[in-house]
Amino acid sequence: MWEQITALFTVGLFQNTIRNATPVILAALGGLFTEHAGIMNIGMEGMILGGAFVAVVFSFTFASAPMGVLFAVLIGIIIGLFFALFVVKLKSDEFIIGMTLNTFSAGLTVYLLRTVFHQTGSWVSTDIKGLPPIDIPVIKDIPLLGDILSGYSIFVYISWVLVFLVWVFLYRTPYGFWMRASGEHPEALETAGIDPVKMKVLSSVLCGIFCGLSGAHLALGYLNCFAEGMSASRGFIAFACVVFGMANPPKVFGAALLFGFLQALAIRLQSVGIPSDLTEAVPYLATVLMLVYITVRGANKKRNRAKKAMAVQAAEEG
Amino acid sequence: MKFLNKIDKKYVLTLIICIFVALLCGAFIMLATGFNPIEAYATIIEGAIGKPRLLGNTIEKFMTLCLLGLATAIGAKGGLFNVGGEGQLFFGALASTMVGLTLSSLPAPIVILLAFLTAVVVGGFYAWIPAMLKVKLNVSEIITTIMLNTVAIKVVTYLVNGPWVSSSPAVSKGTDYLPDKLAFTKLIAASNLSTGFIFGAILTFLIWYFMKMTTVGLQMKLTGENPRFARFSGLKSDKIMVGSMVASGAICGFVGMTLVYGYNGQMVDTISSDYYFDGMLVAMIMNYNPIGIVIMSVFFAILNTGANMIDMTMGISSQIYDIIFSVLIFLMAANKGFIEWFNQSQAKKKARAIAKEKAGKEGI
Amino acid sequence: MQDSIIKFENITMQFPGVLANDNVSFDIKQGEVFALVGENGAGKSTLMNVLYGINTPTAGNVYIKGKKMEKFHPSEAIACGVGMVHQHFMLVPSFTVAQNIALSKEPRKSKIFYDLKAAEKATSDLVEDYGLVVDPKAVVEEISVGLQQRVEILKTLYRGADILILDEPTAVLTPQETEELFDVIRRIVKEKNMTVIIITHKLNEVMAISDRVGVMRKGKLVGVENTKDVNERILASMMVGRDVLLGKVNKTGTPGDVKIEVKDLHVTDNRGLLAVKGVDLNVRAGEILGVAAIEGNGQSELLEAITGLRDIEAGEVYIEGTKINGMDPGQIRHLGLAHIPEDRIATGVSVQSDITDNLIIGKETRPEFSKYKLQLKKSTIVRYANEIFEKFDMRGAGVDTKVGSLSGGNMQKVVVAREFSFNTPVLIIAQPTRGVDVGAIEFIHQCIIDKRNEGCAIILVSADLDEVFRLSDRIITMYEGKITGEFAEGEIDKMGISYYMTGDRSNEAGGEA
Repeated sequence: MWEQITALFTVGLFQNTIRNATPVILAALGGLFTEHAGIMNIGMEGMILGGAFVAVVFSFTFASAPMGVLFAVLIGIIIGLFFALFVVKLKSDEFIIGMTLNTFSAGLTVYLLRTVFHQTGSWVSTDIKGLPPIDIPVIKDIPLLGDILSGYSIFVYISWVLVFLVWVFLYRTPYGFWMRASGEHPEALETAGIDPVKMKVLSSVLCGIFCGLSGAHLALGYLNCFAEGMSASRGFIAFACVVFGMANPPKVFGAALLFGFLQALAIRLQSVGIPSDLTEAVPYLATVLMLVYITVRGANKKRNRAKKAMAVQAAEEG
Repeated sequence: MKFLNKIDKKYVLTLIICIFVALLCGAFIMLATGFNPIEAYATIIEGAIGKPRLLGNTIEKFMTLCLLGLATAIGAKGGLFNVGGEGQLFFGALASTMVGLTLSSLPAPIVILLAFLTAVVVGGFYAWIPAMLKVKLNVSEIITTIMLNTVAIKVVTYLVNGPWVSSSPAVSKGTDYLPDKLAFTKLIAASNLSTGFIFGAILTFLIWYFMKMTTVGLQMKLTGENPRFARFSGLKSDKIMVGSMVASGAICGFVGMTLVYGYNGQMVDTISSDYYFDGMLVAMIMNYNPIGIVIMSVFFAILNTGANMIDMTMGISSQIYDIIFSVLIFLMAANKGFIEWFNQSQAKKKARAIAKEKAGKEGI
Repeated sequence: MQDSIIKFENITMQFPGVLANDNVSFDIKQGEVFALVGENGAGKSTLMNVLYGINTPTAGNVYIKGKKMEKFHPSEAIACGVGMVHQHFMLVPSFTVAQNIALSKEPRKSKIFYDLKAAEKATSDLVEDYGLVVDPKAVVEEISVGLQQRVEILKTLYRGADILILDEPTAVLTPQETEELFDVIRRIVKEKNMTVIIITHKLNEVMAISDRVGVMRKGKLVGVENTKDVNERILASMMVGRDVLLGKVNKTGTPGDVKIEVKDLHVTDNRGLLAVKGVDLNVRAGEILGVAAIEGNGQSELLEAITGLRDIEAGEVYIEGTKINGMDPGQIRHLGLAHIPEDRIATGVSVQSDITDNLIIGKETRPEFSKYKLQLKKSTIVRYANEIFEKFDMRGAGVDTKVGSLSGGNMQKVVVAREFSFNTPVLIIAQPTRGVDVGAIEFIHQCIIDKRNEGCAIILVSADLDEVFRLSDRIITMYEGKITGEFAEGEIDKMGISYYMTGDRSNEAGGEA
């Protein structure tokens, strides 16, 4: 039994954890912006898919991976603006728009794949240039650790740096404070002289960019192909990570790693006879429980504050 | 004729214009990708109603869309948004299949009745959980139902490929097939249309009747529209909200059963591919109006089955259906937002005009 | 001290359907505390929002320090040194005190980074300079309301304000905190030569803190006086104006048994603070008890507690002799109570539903309207709705009109019609004619009097004093959650009663005249 358990923890398990987690990390970091700006963004699935498709198309057209990434970012900006137009400017229901964006993106990518590029299912070509793996000097020579941490596409490392940068943006720059204020108390920001609408639009665009990167990594990171519905619920997982990590970048990063680990473990566990589908369901269930915890804790906090205030009031008035 | 007066004419007109523009967008996309849109739309219609078998499939699709749309509407009318219909459908389908398989020795009507009850109870229960979380603890039902969808689908996938997988070599995946005596009789040979449609039609009527003609339906509607007013009027708004959500889940469970008993014959992990979300979008387009959902379901059922035909004969990907669908929703949302923005600016202008007039009179 | 620092010139503010400011002109002087008083809806807040650039006036000009306002945007006002503390605080709950104070004007490091240390330093400097003690590192959602208000004041000072607008600053404060706030105001005016404009209803505060006072009524400026030249009685009468002569109503019958009894009732508001502090009252059959109070003095919470919409913290309420503590609104209605709520759109109707549905709700399970309490008898219901529709003279397209598209008067008639047709022995009525046209007012008043003459026990809360005087048999005044006076019909007039609505007069019975 013990041997079976230790046999699970191979280098491959951790490599897979990182591979699974990276697109989710990127998208979830994007979701952090909209979450802090007070937008429930359920449309990340569509944003990732759009990014992946465009990355592949332009990597193919220019036979260049950086061009693919560049255009994935551009489409991210466009989708982000489109999302903001409806959700922020026209005040449409964010849930309806998010869901519809997912459907639209899934439909259009498959349609174009089949009718323009005449591929069904997935599109593999040597002309689709992927991002080369990068070896980190020094670390790559450390046994075990080198295998686990080195040799991924650049996005893996970028995503780690971005966790820190997003945290700095949100908690150490004025713009981060404005963005958080625009979600928490937009009138406070407005009376202070800054338009909350602008911050909300910015959050949406940033989310689009990050989801575009996530899609680009998914398509060009190590498989170098586009597959129909290739986002495979990663947008929803990212959304769950934002909830689970209570919208805090390091915690969200941790949540994404946990999701990635569970996914990687699920495949391993299959060899021991534990079904992968059940292990994959765990994170979603955990998110529900986390949400319950967060909501109840928030309500209790409020109640305690009111009680305290009342006690003060009673004491003063005798 | 009185019925006609009740229809919001402005809404119907904008809807028709939006549908037209959405179809135009679809045409433009087809044109841009090198297809003849007129031919395509003609093929869609032919592919949806041209042959009895195709018509049967369209009618079946219509019933599924319509029931799932109504399920969304019932939840939304009661004030809760059920995004978890897909999961409820999966569980309902699985539960009814297992009842059919384990009790197959009993007389068919009894088994079907039991399977129906199980599907409804299981679907309803799976909706009850997020409803209670919302009502008791104020946890967003939108997020919980989205998450519970995936949980349900993963669990069902495990069960139908694991413990309950068919042992027969003739079955490639999923559970055993139901015995023939349990399968619903086909109304049109070789199509998906079975007597399940009749059950569905009865249920549709009952839902409409329930929503429009009963005291509970009235209470539900007012609770969804203004929960504070409902409480003020002495209604048990919490119970009504939970009840509407459970009813929504129960309908989804029933739809799951019809998919298995109607034409699939066994339970597989692909029993539905986001059917609930299609139904939900139909309900949203129609503002949760039951009759509107029925009519709009016809339109989308035709588009859906017809899209399969252009895929096969013309090589136009059937995803054009999703594209037209989502463009329509974007248009409706944009229209709503634009009208509100327009009304606001008009109100401001009006106020300024009144002030000017008044100022003029007083000689300021 | 005598220089004019702000000049309002013929300000008119027209909102859709409401004339909030009507040709208002006056000056505010450098270094004074100017109090602006008036009833709810008198236009005080609107005028201050014009000054702060939130509202653009439909006509007229504002000059700050001699400069004419052009854009009417908060940034313009802020640039001129105007700071405003809103009634609802504009603070981000999860930010610290320093972060809130610096919001939008953050000190920076290397141009893009937020220098949090500098923000805290700037805050503690302000704290020391002005003597407004508050911990810069405390998170705003965890400090008391009184401290939050200090943060708001510091926020304006951080932006360099020397003109401070306080919109009903004491509404949320305890007496202790109010005293501290006044100390702060006195100090900043004296030591920093600031100008303070304070909006309030509480006349004792006007007398305590202000140099001059402006009184507004129904969008118009009634007058500006030196505070030392007036007293609370004079101000109170300026606020409400003379009695409006409404036609007499015909009251008959004598009061019967006690139907509503409230004993030592305590109720909290949405923030968890006590809003009703030990109210005792009783109402007899065939009697209207009028409650006169300025908004926010606990009268709304009182009615919500009686009708079951709000939990009772302490004390008891009896309807028809039955204790209702812990009952839900449905159970209380069952005892024989009907209720016209103060906000008809939020509470009294469903605007998306038609008139019929709005009229029938609450009666739908009665045998005459449904079979087995389930199947609606549609034609009977429509007939019933039409009957009521004609009886209450609602002019709309018909009973299938959506309530949301009705005028205020007709919408209110829907509420009145539904609630009155329950034929209950107890009626709780709040603001029955707010935003209602003259014809409908007369009609609704007559309905209320008819109910009284039939033997209903009625509690009537209204911001319209003329209405309270016309209808009530007895009047109580409420101030800060307590009953401050009780008067029989004819014992007191409008100007007299406004004195009791604007302060606690229990210690000065027969005091100043």
